[in-house]
Amino acid sequence: MTATVTPNGTPATVPPATATPMGPATEPAASATATATGALRAFARDRRRPIAAGAVVALVLGALLLGGGGWPAALTVDLSGPLGTTSDWIIDNRDSHPLFLYGLGHVSNAVVLSVRAVYLVLLALGWAGVTAAAGLVAWRVAGARLALVAVAAFGACGLLGMWVPTMQTLALMVVAVGASVALGGVLGLAAGLSDRTHRILRPVLDTMQVLPAFAYLLPVVLVFGIGVPAAVLATVVYAAPPMARLTALGLRGADAGVMEAAASMGATARQRLLTARLPLARKELLLGVNQSIMMALSMAVIASVIGAGGLGDRVYQALASVDVGAALAAGVPIVLLAVVLDRVTAAAGERIGAAPARHARLGWAVAAVTTAAVAVAGRLSGRLGWPDAWTVDIAPTVNTAVDWMTAHLYSGVPVIGGTADWAGHFTTWVLDPVRGGLQWLPWWAVLVTVGVLALLIGTWRTAATAVAAMAGIGVLGVWDPALDTLSQVLAAVAVTLVLGFAVGIAAARSARLARALRPVLDVFQTMPQFVYLIPVVALFGVGRAPAVAAAVVYALPAVVRITTQGMRAVDPAAMESSRSLGATGRQQLFQVQLPLARPALLLAVNQGVVLVLAVVVIGGLVGGGALGYDAVFGLAQGDLATGLVAGAAIVGLGLMLDRVTQPTERRDPAGKGA
Amino acid sequence: MNTPTAPHTPPSVFAVRDLWKVFGPKADRVPGDAGLAALDAAGLRARTGCTAAVRDVSFDVRKGEVFVVMGLSGSGKSTLVRCLTRLIEPTSGTISIDGEDVLSMDAGRLRELRRHRAAMVFQHFGLLPHRSVLDNVAYGLEIQGVGRAARRERAAEFVTKVGLEGMEHRRPGQLSGGQQQRVGLARALAVDPEVLLFDEPFSALDPLIRRDMQEEVVRLHREEGRTMVFITHDLSEALRLGDRIALMRDGRIVQLGTPEEIVGSPADDYVRDFVRDVPREQVLTVRAAMRPARSTESEAGPALAPDATVHEAIEAVARTGETARVVQDGRCLGVVDQAALLGVVAGVAAPAGKAAA
Repeated sequence: MTATVTPNGTPATVPPATATPMGPATEPAASATATATGALRAFARDRRRPIAAGAVVALVLGALLLGGGGWPAALTVDLSGPLGTTSDWIIDNRDSHPLFLYGLGHVSNAVVLSVRAVYLVLLALGWAGVTAAAGLVAWRVAGARLALVAVAAFGACGLLGMWVPTMQTLALMVVAVGASVALGGVLGLAAGLSDRTHRILRPVLDTMQVLPAFAYLLPVVLVFGIGVPAAVLATVVYAAPPMARLTALGLRGADAGVMEAAASMGATARQRLLTARLPLARKELLLGVNQSIMMALSMAVIASVIGAGGLGDRVYQALASVDVGAALAAGVPIVLLAVVLDRVTAAAGERIGAAPARHARLGWAVAAVTTAAVAVAGRLSGRLGWPDAWTVDIAPTVNTAVDWMTAHLYSGVPVIGGTADWAGHFTTWVLDPVRGGLQWLPWWAVLVTVGVLALLIGTWRTAATAVAAMAGIGVLGVWDPALDTLSQVLAAVAVTLVLGFAVGIAAARSARLARALRPVLDVFQTMPQFVYLIPVVALFGVGRAPAVAAAVVYALPAVVRITTQGMRAVDPAAMESSRSLGATGRQQLFQVQLPLARPALLLAVNQGVVLVLAVVVIGGLVGGGALGYDAVFGLAQGDLATGLVAGAAIVGLGLMLDRVTQPTERRDPAGKGA
Repeated sequence: MNTPTAPHTPPSVFAVRDLWKVFGPKADRVPGDAGLAALDAAGLRARTGCTAAVRDVSFDVRKGEVFVVMGLSGSGKSTLVRCLTRLIEPTSGTISIDGEDVLSMDAGRLRELRRHRAAMVFQHFGLLPHRSVLDNVAYGLEIQGVGRAARRERAAEFVTKVGLEGMEHRRPGQLSGGQQQRVGLARALAVDPEVLLFDEPFSALDPLIRRDMQEEVVRLHREEGRTMVFITHDLSEALRLGDRIALMRDGRIVQLGTPEEIVGSPADDYVRDFVRDVPREQVLTVRAAMRPARSTESEAGPALAPDATVHEAIEAVARTGETARVVQDGRCLGVVDQAALLGVVAGVAAPAGKAAA
């Protein structure tokens, strides 16, 4: 925590080494001279001084001219009026204005119709048909073991009494995934084949991927109102970027030698695309589909807040009444669905490239016929819906367990205290001071801090974006709630990084630990964000501490994984040479591994920050307050103006946090342009 | 392999004149500007930011010959071979194939050229990893629009021809490097091209497999007599395969000649340095060591053909202890003795003025 907050104090203690005429002017001058010298290390060393000097000048000027306090009211723009008017206008005209009648209305109808159609097909197949189909598809693309997993997972969904919500979620998913794969594929194709499109699209996709899922909900609600169309469209917009990125990546990464060979044989552009470039990219394409599916599931669950229905809605309703048992009953199917979808699509990706299975067509035919037979049998025996007799209501049991936990573990456990005590202490001793400190800081000092941090890690461009994003939050008039969210993010990131680096380094040094961790990380990384709220509510009740805990649990796997990979990727020759010089394990770690793994560690920080923000915002649903609460409140009360402003502030916060921690690898190409 | 230049010159397949390929901003101005064209690589880069990969190159590839372009990496040889079918667009100069101007071809005509007249074999094979060996070999035919059954049948024939029968249904990833290059070779052969272009095809292979593949090429050339343009950075490969060799340095051809000419009379110090370690007796022919016969010498002693290597002559002279006669069509052209042969091996004397005849 302290590490993240102090840098705004640090520049003040560093004496300016050179006389600097003006704060802002030194940055371009410094980078210009630095590029001339060339060496990257010298670059990093040289630019620190002018940045520090500039920061000192800015802080002194700010203290003299601007005084202290939060964002000044004079600099805010109240958008609630115009936004409210716009929202009212859209609601009033949704059924009459040509824009909606002939444009968006069709989109909305098409979405509703297709979701409905898929849902009807799923119903017509019956529970037996759907389960058989899932098992057989898994068998064909991923083998017998995953087929059993798929059948068991669907069986469990029925057993938990969640068959109908599962089918609703699945229907929404099918439509959303289809649309986002198509949309992402087309965008990716354009970016993969045209350099200019790629240059334009890449920063947009990069940015879309760092924004919290919650930020996507409000704009679609503004246009489409609460309901299935909005949920599907939000899901499509959220899930399309990975498909587009990976498609473009795959197409651009096609082996130049193969492409040249195709050209040398006189292939036309079309032939080169269809017979060489696309097949060469099939791994990335399938990975794109896999990612799209996982993002879509995550979003389809969160979109319950805007009327997606299905499993997410059950969780949402249950969380609203702190009914952990009911939330778990709906949460388990979500996790099962996530695991099955992820494993099956990932296995399909891995199988590609191996020799094709013999009798592939026969296998598919068998699968189709069996599915049809099972479905017809189910229909004839009149058992289309999951039999009620076969359900197990786990809610009371779970709630009893939670009650017991509340009674015995929340507080008063000897020596270690209780979970609620921990949450309380964390709130009192960490969250409150950080929030207080941030809100006490003069607004311009926050901006200077943001700018300095971004400059130290990134380029003047990322710094400018970060400062502008932060200032935008102030202008929108949500400075205080944004700093509240920020304090939660900082606390969660600090905990995540301490735990993540420790576990990651341990896993990098112990193959056994790494092996033990891998399945755990796999499962945790596939789970939708929403699901993480259930256990933390059970353990810590509601409030800011549970939101932070959920964020930590959600971000931890990615941080651990990136850290481990980065540490393992360290050049073995460097490790060997340091060992041959007689370095101890500790010396190796601190003098070789950590410095060489620096890019990976920075990436881990960046990912940690982005993931933490996503969940801290969702924490608004379990009493996290701040921006997330504003957004949920806006949605729930139909007060879209409040919600949209909060959503925009979330976007600003996401941009700022990403730019401030922008990993170095992205800096070089950007730096050349400077 | 080193067949001597035939008395009458066969027609050229490729005729290349004054070819330039310059990479960089405003590359067009470099070839035309005598000042810029005279600069060396570093000078040109400093002045214009351009790199001249191919500089003012002219040569003919004759029908049925193996024309080797050899040079170290960065000498422009790979760029040169790509210019022939405009995989890289030349900056200036002319290229013609069978008298037809390549640079003025439209897209359709150029595709026609690439589909039917010149096929290329690549250093890194360029195989499609998702297709079987058979479908890789058939790929060129597929692009031409040949039907599935017909192209597979033809591909199977060439799979056998390069010695891969039984592996038709494997994926390239399941083959060794040498086998992959056989697939690349079969793919090029399957379209029955007039010219085969090889871009360092064996550089990525282990030495023993490389040797096998070179022999494969020699065999194919002997059987079919197809014209080949062969790029390599390996001097021994060039000497083994080439009927004629163009030696490139910094984008220019510094010497063009038969292996014997390159080794026997290097054009400059660079070439001399290059061929210094070549076992001269295995490349040079007895012509290089021949002197007119004195009175009785034309009657006795072992007889050798004029294109026999010095190595063979040494063997004959050592075995018999006499001077050997060089005989063509029953006529004695001259004799080689121990002193002349040793002179060739040592590279000291150039006893015969007609060495490069």
